[in-house]
Amino acid sequence: MVKVEDIQQCAAGLLEKGQVKSVLGFRRGTAGAMAEPCTITEAAEAGTLVWDPTCLNNLALYLVKDRKQQAASKTPDIRPIGIVAKGCDSRAVAVLLQENYFKREEVFVIGVSCEGTGVIDPKKVATLLKGRSPSRVEFDGADGFKLTLRGGEMQVPAREILADRCLECRAASPALNDVVFGEPSGERGYATPFHAAKEALGASETERWAAWEHHFDRCLRCFACRSVCPMCYCPECVVDSTSFVIEPQTSAEEKANRIKWCERSPNTSESAVYHLTRAIHLAGRCVDCGECERVCPVNIPLRLLNTMLEMEAFEMFHYQAGHDLSQASLLSSFRDEDPNSFIR
Amino acid sequence: MSNPSQTTATAPTAPQEHEPRIVAFQCKWCTSAGSDLAGVSRIQYPANAVPIQVMCSGMVSPMYVLSAFNKGADGVLVSGCHPGDCHYMKGNFFARRKLYLVQKLLQFIGLESDRFRMSWISAAEGTKYAQVISDFVRDMKALGPQRKLKAKR
Repeated sequence: MVKVEDIQQCAAGLLEKGQVKSVLGFRRGTAGAMAEPCTITEAAEAGTLVWDPTCLNNLALYLVKDRKQQAASKTPDIRPIGIVAKGCDSRAVAVLLQENYFKREEVFVIGVSCEGTGVIDPKKVATLLKGRSPSRVEFDGADGFKLTLRGGEMQVPAREILADRCLECRAASPALNDVVFGEPSGERGYATPFHAAKEALGASETERWAAWEHHFDRCLRCFACRSVCPMCYCPECVVDSTSFVIEPQTSAEEKANRIKWCERSPNTSESAVYHLTRAIHLAGRCVDCGECERVCPVNIPLRLLNTMLEMEAFEMFHYQAGHDLSQASLLSSFRDEDPNSFIR
Repeated sequence: MSNPSQTTATAPTAPQEHEPRIVAFQCKWCTSAGSDLAGVSRIQYPANAVPIQVMCSGMVSPMYVLSAFNKGADGVLVSGCHPGDCHYMKGNFFARRKLYLVQKLLQFIGLESDRFRMSWISAAEGTKYAQVISDFVRDMKALGPQRKLKAKR
C-alpha cells in the first residue's frame, strides 16, 4: 500500500536539499473527488500532495512544457524536476529520454506503483452512481475502491470503474525511477493486453469503417488529444502550419502551390487524415496513458488507434515503447525477419 | 459534316467503367528504372498509374499515402528495391516496417486492404512492373471508386 506521507516526505526532502527545482504531483482538486496536477516549489507545500485513484493525468506532459519554456527563456533554469510517476508516466519519461528530449539527470522520477489496481474512469463512475459524484475515491485493498458519497461509503470492485487502459496494463509499477513507493506489480489479469484493439479487429471491414466514419465525422478538431499528449511535442504540427501562415499579402498562386497535407475544416476525410497521421506518428512511442481518449469531448476511442499499432509493434517487431532506454526507436530500426509477405 | 469524335461523345452510352487512379511512389534506383524498361520494351500495361519518382522507398512518409487517398487516389503503390539491394543500404528495410504499420492502420479503420500495396521491383524487372500495375488496376476496377478517405470538395 502506498502511503501518501512517503511521497510527501520524499518531495519535501528533495526540495529542501535543493536537488530539484520543483516537484510535479497531484493535489486535491476543487471539483469533487478528482485530483488535479500541481507543481510545488517549496518543501512546506509538500503536504498538499495526494495519491489516490483519481490521479489520472500523465505528468510527463509538464516536463515537456517546462522544457519548451526553458528553451525560450533567456535565463533557463536547468535544475532537475521531480515528477510523481505512475507506471505509464514513467514509460512516457523513458520514451522522452530515448528521444533525447531531455537528459536523465534533468529529471528525478518519484515512482508510484499502482499495485493491484490503477486509476478510475470518471465516466464509468458517473454511470455506476447514476450521475451522482463521490466526494472521495480511495484505494481499498488489492482490487477494490472505496467511494465516499453523501449517503455513506461504498465498496466497488476495481474491475467496474477502472480506466480501460488500466485493465489492459502490463507494467503498473514504474520501471524507470529514482525512488519507488508501493509493491512492484506487472500484469493484473483484468483483461488480456490489447483486448480492446483485438475486439475491434473482430468486426467486419464494413462495420469498422461505419464506426470510424462516425468517429471521424464527430471530431471537432479541437486538438485536445494533441495538447494533452506528452509525445506530441513538435513545435509545428503538420495540420497547422505556423511557419507558412497565410497573410493578407500571400498571393493566390502561393497559396495554391503550398503543400497542405489536410485542411483545418472538420470534415470526415480531413479528420481521418489528422487522426491517422497522429496515430502513425505515435507508433512505437505511445505509452498507452489513455489521456487522448480521456480528454476527447466527443468520446472518440482514440486509444484504439494507438494500441492497435502498439499491438503490431509488440507482436511483429517485439517492440515495447518506454521499455528499454538504449533501444533504437521502432521506426529507426529494422530486423531481417520483419514481415515481407505483404509485399509483392 | 459532323465530327465523329463529337457524335460519339454526346451519344448516350452504357455507364462507363470506372477508371481507377493509382498513385505509384517509385524509388529512383530500381522501380523507376524497371518502369523505364517496361516502356522501352514496349510492354503493354494500363495507363492508370501516376508514377511519382522518389529517391528511396524509405523516404515515403505515411503522410504521402494518406494524402494521396485524401486527394482521391483509388490505390497507392509504394515500390522499391529488393531487400538488400537498396542504393542507400537500408532504406527499403525502414520502408517495410513503416508501411507495414500504415497498411495495418488503414485496414483497422476499414479501408479495403487491397488499396494500399507495396512491391519490390528491380531495374531488370520490366515485366514484373507491368504485371504489378495491371493486377492493381484490375483489382481497383473490381473494387470501384475509393470514397472513404477522399475529401468531399
